[in-house]
Amino acid sequence: MAHFSKISEENEVLNVLAVDDKDTKNDSNQEIESVGQQYLETHNNWPAHLWIKTSYNTLQNTHRLGGTPFRGNYAGIGHIWDPQNNIFLPPKPFSSWTKNIEEARWQSPIGDAPELTEEQQNQYNSGTHDWIYLWDEDNQTWNLTNLFD
Amino acid sequence: MNKNILTEQAVYTGFINTPKNYEIDSKELIKDIYESKFINNEFKFSKNWDLLNTYIREFLQLKFHLNLKNKKTWGNIFRPKENCFHLLEVDLNDLKNSPDYICLYGVNVSNCLINIHYNDNRKKGKEYKVELKNNMFIIFSSLNHFDIINNQNDLNYILSTTYESS
Repeated sequence: MAHFSKISEENEVLNVLAVDDKDTKNDSNQEIESVGQQYLETHNNWPAHLWIKTSYNTLQNTHRLGGTPFRGNYAGIGHIWDPQNNIFLPPKPFSSWTKNIEEARWQSPIGDAPELTEEQQNQYNSGTHDWIYLWDEDNQTWNLTNLFD
Repeated sequence: MNKNILTEQAVYTGFINTPKNYEIDSKELIKDIYESKFINNEFKFSKNWDLLNTYIREFLQLKFHLNLKNKKTWGNIFRPKENCFHLLEVDLNDLKNSPDYICLYGVNVSNCLINIHYNDNRKKGKEYKVELKNNMFIIFSSLNHFDIINNQNDLNYILSTTYESS
């Protein structure tokens, strides 16, 4: 089963459809993206170049079954297709965040949230606290927050 | 201090901006409207209608997380200056099978005003007016009464579709 995302001309993902492998193969039985695109154009009333193949098992440029990642992330409705970098990205969470192309994700200008300390992790594990770092866009910082408060 | 929104009365409007060579063919839709009016009575499925309907559903899902399911589609032909007042798409005696939203699409219209009636808490009988243009859609709650006011000199063609939301 192959998956194709239907995108708008503004590169927003509108839908994701599954296509039978046989409908993406050429006469020599090779899987070719353009064959699937043509099939979808014929049967789904949307131009071929706006159907982009996506991998069900790829997340943040890692294949969850150990295979070769394909196009950054499995596309979902609302994701953005980045044709320059050939990846799908989720919607940008904050205006200050930038693309991490290597890992196909968004990153804050000061990097990822710090790790929880051992004490915080123990409190989290024992269920007394629900520690999480939340991004504060106004102050451009990570705030440690206990969601139980 | 918290605010919880229990319900909202939204009016969604927009133009259908499909890719090149995939434009909605209004002449075909007009033919389908005539056919449904005078031959079949059921608005027939066509590639053209499917393109329009899918576009509206997918973009409302994308932009407003509004998930719509089709109920019924029909076309209307309005003679010059023909008006319809206090239309209501919900059946108050059968809410279970009534739609949540009504969509009006301007197939070929000029000087066409949609007047939506609504209540704003104790301020009753308010009106919101939108001019329906060619290739434009207006979606609002089926619980709102509405008027279609035509001030044109030719025929106006409007495609109506009702939707259920989930």
